[in-house]
Amino acid sequence: MVTVDKLTHLDERLSKSTVRAVKDTRAYTAFRVVNGTLLVIIAAVTLYPFINLAAQAFSSEAYINAGQVNLWPKGFNLTTFDLVMGDRMFWRNYQNTVYYTVVATLVAMVLTTTFAYAISKYHLKGRKVFIGIAVFTMFFNGGLIPNYVLVNELGLRNSVWAIALPNAISVFNLLVMKSFFENFSTELEEAAEIDGLSTYGKLWRIVLPLSKAVIATMILFYAVAFWNSWFAAFLYMDHRELYPVTVYLRNLIAGATNVDGAAGSSEATQIAANVKAVTMLLTVLPIVCLYPFIQRYFVSGVMLGSVKQ
Amino acid sequence: MRTTKKRPLAIAATAATLALALAACSGGSDDDAAETPEVGELGQVGAMADYEVGTTFKATEPVTFGLLYRDHPNYPLKDDWRILTALEENQNVSFDIQSAPLSDWDQAKSIAIGAGNAPEIVSVTYPGQEVQFVAGGAILPVSDYTQYMPNFTDKVERWGLEGDLDRLRQEDGKFYILPGLRESVRPMYTYAVRADIWEELGLSLEPATFDDFAADLAKVKAAYPDQYPLSDRWSENGPLEATLNVAASNFGTAAGWGFGEGLTWDEGAGEFVYTGATDEYRDLLAYYNGLVADGLMDPESLIQEDDQAIQKLASGQTFAQLTNDQEILKVRTAFEELGTDGDVTMIRVPAGPAGDLLAGQRLVSGLLLSSKAKDADHFLALLQFVDWLYYSDEGLEFAKWGIEGETFTKDGSGTRTLADDVDINGLNPDGEKALNIDFGFHNGVWMLEHGSTDDLDQSMLRDEVVDFVQSMSDKELAPVPPPAPLNELEREQVSLWQTALKDHVYQNTAAFILGQRSLDEWDAYVSELDSKNAQQYLDVVNGAQQRFADANG
Repeated sequence: MVTVDKLTHLDERLSKSTVRAVKDTRAYTAFRVVNGTLLVIIAAVTLYPFINLAAQAFSSEAYINAGQVNLWPKGFNLTTFDLVMGDRMFWRNYQNTVYYTVVATLVAMVLTTTFAYAISKYHLKGRKVFIGIAVFTMFFNGGLIPNYVLVNELGLRNSVWAIALPNAISVFNLLVMKSFFENFSTELEEAAEIDGLSTYGKLWRIVLPLSKAVIATMILFYAVAFWNSWFAAFLYMDHRELYPVTVYLRNLIAGATNVDGAAGSSEATQIAANVKAVTMLLTVLPIVCLYPFIQRYFVSGVMLGSVKQ
Repeated sequence: MRTTKKRPLAIAATAATLALALAACSGGSDDDAAETPEVGELGQVGAMADYEVGTTFKATEPVTFGLLYRDHPNYPLKDDWRILTALEENQNVSFDIQSAPLSDWDQAKSIAIGAGNAPEIVSVTYPGQEVQFVAGGAILPVSDYTQYMPNFTDKVERWGLEGDLDRLRQEDGKFYILPGLRESVRPMYTYAVRADIWEELGLSLEPATFDDFAADLAKVKAAYPDQYPLSDRWSENGPLEATLNVAASNFGTAAGWGFGEGLTWDEGAGEFVYTGATDEYRDLLAYYNGLVADGLMDPESLIQEDDQAIQKLASGQTFAQLTNDQEILKVRTAFEELGTDGDVTMIRVPAGPAGDLLAGQRLVSGLLLSSKAKDADHFLALLQFVDWLYYSDEGLEFAKWGIEGETFTKDGSGTRTLADDVDINGLNPDGEKALNIDFGFHNGVWMLEHGSTDDLDQSMLRDEVVDFVQSMSDKELAPVPPPAPLNELEREQVSLWQTALKDHVYQNTAAFILGQRSLDEWDAYVSELDSKNAQQYLDVVNGAQQRFADANG
């Protein structure tokens, strides 16, 4: 009862603006207004292309070409959606994209994490050589055709491994993870060691659970990269059943914009203008939806109070 | 100290490797010099003993050919297409298909060929694209084997394509692509004019010369003094590219899309001259400059976008414009949308000072054979099959129309009609199935240039287009220049010059037409071209022409 009374009392006091403990200075209010406006503008500028894209996806070609589509669809039509989503191959390829992204991200995460953890330890013999090997590939590579020949000779073509293995370790991501692990508190690991954990035990039970922030970031980096990638798949997949959806949609755009002697029917050319919008919407949507779920790790991963020094 | 000891060894090893590499290189070139192979040397599996013109190819036993397939999203590949099952039933041929999407087709092709991984048949390749692969040795010099392709040689001979074919020959005198053949050049572009206005003013739809056409425009101008009679398009990548291309041959030159490498063969002098510096090119520009100066052509023709130009025509602001047999449909749609009363029609391209000429390619998109096909045990059958499908009348009809009695019927006069339930390009709007999507026919991979022969090419065109094509058919073909294949070093060298020269020509083409630069300055302009290495360029090309002529008679 007492607490309730107190709370009510507090509420009353808070609601009275006259008795606010700290009054905003004029400058601070001005700052907040400017800041708020600026952020709203930035948000609008960032959001506008997305909304415009969505509007275009549902508009008819004539209005898009005339540049009349802004925030709301004009000449509402679903021809392209019908065409794309009614195609069995589209779903097949979408399934491939999900499969390739999951497998490739998984492989990439395992390899990148373990590699980064190993080379973050200063006592590792030949550490600089390993780092050198990795960094070397950032600046030099075998070139397109030698890579193709290699993948071909290894018998990886037409399988998920052609996509997952050659791109498994992104050196940039590796270096980010390495520096994260380097900053990881040694005391914590030593403590774990005294408690009897092996190297893998330390990595699995101490380091990784405390590295959710960097892991979430890396998963996001890798997943987005694999989701959007089309080149490796285009290069190494010989059958349309194996294409990811990016290649499918890329080809669709080419078909809509390319007049191949035999001109397409009027319906086919109708889609030419908004097929790009539909394409982008369909590719971008799922991965955009992933962001909010991963974002929370960016803040919660900060290690506070784990060790008293 | 240890390093000094090892050094001599390292040098020796390097030298040995180098020597080996060199030996390997020279060994390779010896093999290339082999003479045209005898029929007995080719893989015989499935080949017909008595294959000739008029024979329907059927492999004596089932064979499977590798095919690099260009997958078009508008008619995606299906394994159970009728064209595939029919080839299997009737020709004993099936394909091992490696497919690549249309979007990145050229890249897919060059990687597959470059990595030595190309299937035996590489489809959809334009003449000129094969040049980059010649040095690598991954594609077959098909000219060595055309003797086993009776339909190909027959058509080349009957249609007089030897000169065109010679233009495909590389430095070694061989050609590496099997091009699609055309019986005649198919004209597509011409001026569209307002039929109602032309009729009202009593103007001809077949003006005899370009000067007559200008006079017609002047009459239109007199009747509608506030408007430009002609407002043109296709200037997005260069000034009036389509228009100049159409007109140029009648002025005895090449321009716009047809400017190409900028070379004109001077028959009298027996050498190449630079197109952009010729008097003929000047006359062409003078003509269009005249149209602009007299207020007959809208100066915005050189800067406006295509859609803008169409809007002008469709809204009645102008009365003539270059078009082609597809674009004219767009123009008509625009007329309908804007509710403008009037119709457009295509005129016959007039003759010019050089005569009544038509320029254009008769060798078009075709295919490559990869070098590994040569070692296959069914190589002869492959040659015969390619010859049958792509070059025999029967094969060409099959690829375009499908199977008689199934997808189409043919009446006594030879007119083909699609089956009731089959449609292509709106030819039979009631048909529920599409000839390409549902059957795989009418597909650029198996059908070269709409069937090669005039008969097949025109068999699916609208009446309007057939009329236009036939009105153009009495035009003379512009002569084909002699071959002047460059070697790789020369190619690299001239490509720099070519670009700089062409840029300068294009810039000044626009300036001369618009009158920003007076044609009195022509000589100054020609010497500017010389300062951009026009003469060096010609020396290299003329040298190559001479070299080729000496080596190949």
